[in-house]
Amino acid sequence: MLLKICHLYPDLLDLYGDRGNIIALERRCYWRGIDVEITRITLGEQLNFKDWDIVFMGGGSDREQSILFQDLHDRAENLAAAINDGLVMLNICGGLQMMGKYYQTADGSKIPGIEILDLWTVAGAKRLIGNVCIELGEAADTGEGEFKLPTLVGFENHSGQTFLGGLKPLGKVVKGFGNNGNDGMEGFVYKNVFGTYLHGPLLPKNPHFADMLLARAIERRWGTVGLAKLDDSLEIEAHQYIVNRLKQT
Amino acid sequence: MNFVTKLRFIAAVWLGKTVFWLSRLMGKNGTTLPGALALKLSPQLIGYLARQLPKGTVIVTGTNGKTTTANMLAAIFAKTNLNLTFNQAGANLITGVATAFLNSSDWSGSIKTEMAVLEVDEATVSKVAPQVMPHTVIITNFFRDQLDRYGELDKTVWLVKETVLDNLPKAKLILNADDPLVAQIGVGRTNVVYYGVSANEYGTAQSNQAREARHCSFCGYTYVYDFYHYGQLGIYRCPKCGFKRPAPQVLAEEVGLHDLEGISFKVGATDFYLQHQGFYNVYNALAAIAAAENMGIDDQTIKTALQEFKPQAGRMEQFAVGTNRITLSLVKNPTGLNEVIRAMVQGNKQLDLLIAINDNAADGRDISWLWDVDFELLQGRIDHVICAGTRAEDMAVRLKYAGIATDKLAIIKDLNQALASLTERQHSEQGIYVLPTYTALFPLRDALSKLRSKAYAT
Repeated sequence: MLLKICHLYPDLLDLYGDRGNIIALERRCYWRGIDVEITRITLGEQLNFKDWDIVFMGGGSDREQSILFQDLHDRAENLAAAINDGLVMLNICGGLQMMGKYYQTADGSKIPGIEILDLWTVAGAKRLIGNVCIELGEAADTGEGEFKLPTLVGFENHSGQTFLGGLKPLGKVVKGFGNNGNDGMEGFVYKNVFGTYLHGPLLPKNPHFADMLLARAIERRWGTVGLAKLDDSLEIEAHQYIVNRLKQT
Repeated sequence: MNFVTKLRFIAAVWLGKTVFWLSRLMGKNGTTLPGALALKLSPQLIGYLARQLPKGTVIVTGTNGKTTTANMLAAIFAKTNLNLTFNQAGANLITGVATAFLNSSDWSGSIKTEMAVLEVDEATVSKVAPQVMPHTVIITNFFRDQLDRYGELDKTVWLVKETVLDNLPKAKLILNADDPLVAQIGVGRTNVVYYGVSANEYGTAQSNQAREARHCSFCGYTYVYDFYHYGQLGIYRCPKCGFKRPAPQVLAEEVGLHDLEGISFKVGATDFYLQHQGFYNVYNALAAIAAAENMGIDDQTIKTALQEFKPQAGRMEQFAVGTNRITLSLVKNPTGLNEVIRAMVQGNKQLDLLIAINDNAADGRDISWLWDVDFELLQGRIDHVICAGTRAEDMAVRLKYAGIATDKLAIIKDLNQALASLTERQHSEQGIYVLPTYTALFPLRDALSKLRSKAYAT
């Protein structure tokens, strides 16, 4: 078994320690003796999404997102096909926005997205910044038993306000702003594609969510294989600290 | 100034100076409050005072190295007996600058000093510079720092660039040639002095560090690097539009890092020596040298001032506690912390660390930057690490994922307890470092100072 992970545009989309998510996936496989191959793919490089088990796309500044947009757009058809085939993908912040229909700037003009998912983003007047805690929704069920934590924690920093069409949210905001600061929803889920504004980075502090991604990717290619249990006491301590702190505010 | 404005200005000076003395009486430092109150009465106060300076103002801005560079420059001017306005305590927002000017003013609003050297926060330059109209602006570097406060780095760079181009067309710019984000600000301008470091044994031809500015500021194409110093600093060029690292007029050659013994390098025919650790201090010194030379100070005076210059509080500062030598260094962003890690690993000793990560406003509330730091370089070099501060758990998780065994990690959130645990540990040959973020620095520094004097007393 060789799990193939693709980090998309790591040189451009790395605003908030995004590589931490890749480190988390890699380490959690390593500790279990699962072989992984991590490939960094950037502008102009050959890529067929069907070859991959997990694809990760992080967040960047406006300038960097505009540099890569055409490149991503050229790959949209291939990506959409892989997603329908069950590709596991994690999109954070800018990565989430670009998957949607458009980004409407402050002056009302619309920058198109790659239009794979039914969501859109509108520039907001103030940045939504701070620690976040969300309660995971059904669509992102991390299962029973070993993966027990009902929450995700992280940090958000975005001025875009995202709205979901027919998509299910990743979870419900407990503390923080979420997609737009209004409807209480955070992130999205579509098949095995997940999007969120939580960085921090997300996966090291949410080991149950990291393992859910790994489990789904493995199941898709090799059928159900139980993941060996790891000692996550440190990760859960970090997770619980912020859950408890946010409860008090 | 019309009569009402003048009246408000004088009232603001009185208010500010009174508040300053009151806060001193109450045992406070009073580095920002007097300025904050005075600015409410007279928003242009800084400008009124700065314009009276016979020798004008120098501004130091950028992400890392502002405090050290400004302090070095002040030390050089002190050698020429120049009387300075100086925001010494690192109070680098507009309120701190205003307080520094108030302290240099008499009660009638006349300035008593000859020149100002101001360390100014990147996001505050656009407010301070148009008022003081500096004749010299030093820009050290642009790295990611406390993103949650400023939005994104691109905006910070843009804000500084616009201010310099629109408001200060006559100012002399002292720019870091090795940082493409800084160097691009000088393109098409004649009154610029560039400083930089030549390729040497401490850098590489390859880099996997978190880097800003991988793409050309002018055309968006990926830069090609012939040499990396650290971060995005190096010898770069854009193969598409031709923008490249400008030739530095002030160039450091033959750089030598001598661990706890300091740093040596050569600029032109002059040998310089610093008591500091950490390669990045070469850049801080170069910025000060470039500015001082440009203002007509001779190399021998500069050399002596730098040689005698002591590292600032919490910048690789040494504490002798009993038989242990503990080094304290502020960490606040990936580039700065990567440089500290490089300096620690270079020492060839096993390491015993206390890392204190707070997430108060002054530290930056977002700690995701810890994942951009190359803690992986510490593999095999760690005897023990105590993680402290409000985000101690996050720090411990980061180290676990960097490949540090969890039995070498301890979480002690309270700073004093963490330090007590560190000093109680038996040490023989280890390098002992205490690495706090901003709001953890001063409590730990106070505690270390007390331990040091206690050790002397017994």
